Amino acid sequence: MEKKDIIQSFKDSLFTGLIALALFGPIVGLRTASKGEGLFITPQWGIVFLLVGLCILGRFLINLNSARKTEITFFSKFTSKFSAITKDKAKHFAITAILFAVVFPFLPFTDRYFMDVAIMILTYIMLGWGLNIVVGLAGLLDLGYVAFYAVGAYSYALIATTFGWSFWICLPLAGVFAAFFGILLGFPVLRLRGDYLAIVTLGFGEIIRIILINWYEVTNGPDGITGIPRPSFFGLPFKRSPDEGETSFHLFFNLEYSTMHRIIFLYYLILVLALITNYFTLKIRKLPVGRAWEALREDEIACKSLGVNPTNTKLTAFAIGAMFGGFAGSFFATRQAFISPESFTFIESAIIVAIVVLGGMGSQTGVVLASIFLIGITEMFRDLEQFRMIAFGGAMVLIMVFKPKGILANRKPTILMHGDKK
Amino acid sequence: MSNLLSVENLTMKFGGLTAIDDLSFDAKNNQITSIIGPNGAGKTTVFNCLTGFYKPTNGQMFLHKEDSKISLRKYTDFKIAYVAKVARTFQNIRLFPAMSVLENLLVAQHNELMVASGYSLFGLLNLKSYRDKEQLAVDKAKYWLDIIGLTHRADDNAGDLPYGDQRKLEIVRAMCIEPRLLCLDEPAAGLNPKESAELNKLLKFIKTEKQTGILLIEHDMSVVMGISDHVVVLNYGKKIFEGTADQTKNSKEVIEAYLGVDE
Repeated sequence: MEKKDIIQSFKDSLFTGLIALALFGPIVGLRTASKGEGLFITPQWGIVFLLVGLCILGRFLINLNSARKTEITFFSKFTSKFSAITKDKAKHFAITAILFAVVFPFLPFTDRYFMDVAIMILTYIMLGWGLNIVVGLAGLLDLGYVAFYAVGAYSYALIATTFGWSFWICLPLAGVFAAFFGILLGFPVLRLRGDYLAIVTLGFGEIIRIILINWYEVTNGPDGITGIPRPSFFGLPFKRSPDEGETSFHLFFNLEYSTMHRIIFLYYLILVLALITNYFTLKIRKLPVGRAWEALREDEIACKSLGVNPTNTKLTAFAIGAMFGGFAGSFFATRQAFISPESFTFIESAIIVAIVVLGGMGSQTGVVLASIFLIGITEMFRDLEQFRMIAFGGAMVLIMVFKPKGILANRKPTILMHGDKK
Repeated sequence: MSNLLSVENLTMKFGGLTAIDDLSFDAKNNQITSIIGPNGAGKTTVFNCLTGFYKPTNGQMFLHKEDSKISLRKYTDFKIAYVAKVARTFQNIRLFPAMSVLENLLVAQHNELMVASGYSLFGLLNLKSYRDKEQLAVDKAKYWLDIIGLTHRADDNAGDLPYGDQRKLEIVRAMCIEPRLLCLDEPAAGLNPKESAELNKLLKFIKTEKQTGILLIEHDMSVVMGISDHVVVLNYGKKIFEGTADQTKNSKEVIEAYLGVDE
């Protein structure tokens, strides 16, 4: 490298430092502290200089790296290798992942905390797969997906607490209700696309949440619904001491009572639900309606000129996507045994959309990787408390910098004329 | 030869602008009818009225079947292609670029396949009746790909094809809905002479082998004069001439419209 380049990049780094100083100076440097009767400013210039120094150093290193004209940095090398593996051996990868997911509860290091995180990740994977139908396949940017999650959860909770029906009856009902709401949202937004659609769906998500807060007689308002029945293992409840005339799970199988039984059961339940969602999506993608969704995403006018009914096509996408959101919602309700509108805020929608987009629109494996990455990272940094959203944002920035189209952005045709060449 | 399409007193106004002014013409079965005219003459507007994208201010458009005739005004949107079987292509190509060539042709057969798949139910159950129908659809796609010589690229993304091939693909995609009337909006735009010649061959094949009338908007006179059976000339939304290709070439009105009048 030439001396000129080094001086140039050094100058650039100093300039970066100047910007960093302007930003960090007032934000970090001047800390207000209340002493006695007023607010006083405590300067902390040490930290500011440390941060600015880090910025200068980082910028300098980036400059040096790019000046060397080697575009392959450590990270992009890693990701390209990774996508090469998944591209060629997508099937092997999927089978390995499913096998790992099946044995996961019995691995030696798996404890209660790991199981909880795994259940949460699987819930998001299922939501991601559900939303993938709407966003990834049909190309309808839905920012209010959490509404269907909420509808599913509340339908389950209300039906189960009112009628006392079992989980396996309430689950499909919740799905049907959510699908109905999907169609309800679908009708007014049929003519909208892109940004406009996104705004209306966002509003829809908020409307549902506000109704849940205010319709006190039915939803119990902000207090939420408590005492939602836990799922039973085909009629065997997970209780230490079952009611009279009942046999509980651990007694039936002659096991020591453990709360882990229920957790493991919930884990497998969401695993199966998620895999059903995935299987369904993979299947329906190859059917005429799936192709019509993708065609609609590509060009709506061309679709009309070929006689594809855009109304029906869009509504089915909304309804089916919403149905899976509803299933996930009922699972959420039965796992928590308590739901309130607080669980269904916009940030949930944003996370699900982020998972779909970062995973690579329409890619099923991408959703899995993005869920593990985003939810896993925020969980790992739980100790940082409010700063963990920085980790979340940082993860998003990293993916967008190195993989602007999402982690896995390769689309495979739904039908081949010449068979698989590989 | 029997009439396929008759347009009667078609008028289309956008606010104060009259894009089409009292236009009447006929198109016949198994013929290529060209609509030509200088830029802004209202040619694409005629297409948009015929294919249900615009609702004309006035006038009628009839598509003749054996004994009956259906009014195209009644059908809007996707029903023009679905029910009336009028297909069209676009001035700026509208393929599904991220989908494969074969998938593009299958989307064109959406409605038959949708019924065959029992509105997805039989398809999800993977019944043999659906698989057979799907195979038929693939065979039909292959038939058309063989004709335009793109079979070897069937599994590639439509957006990755060269421009000329995309044009041809869009035409055969429209043919996959088995239209009675095929409306082509400047199919030769951006093609080199060799590709234009291939296009002529394709259109002649469709005209003679299929029960399809073709309506063509085109600026490339080598295409228009080479294959048209009938030419309609528009200027400022009005029909100024109608006749065979040779008559059109020698018409005083047409030459004036294109080249202007001596003062």
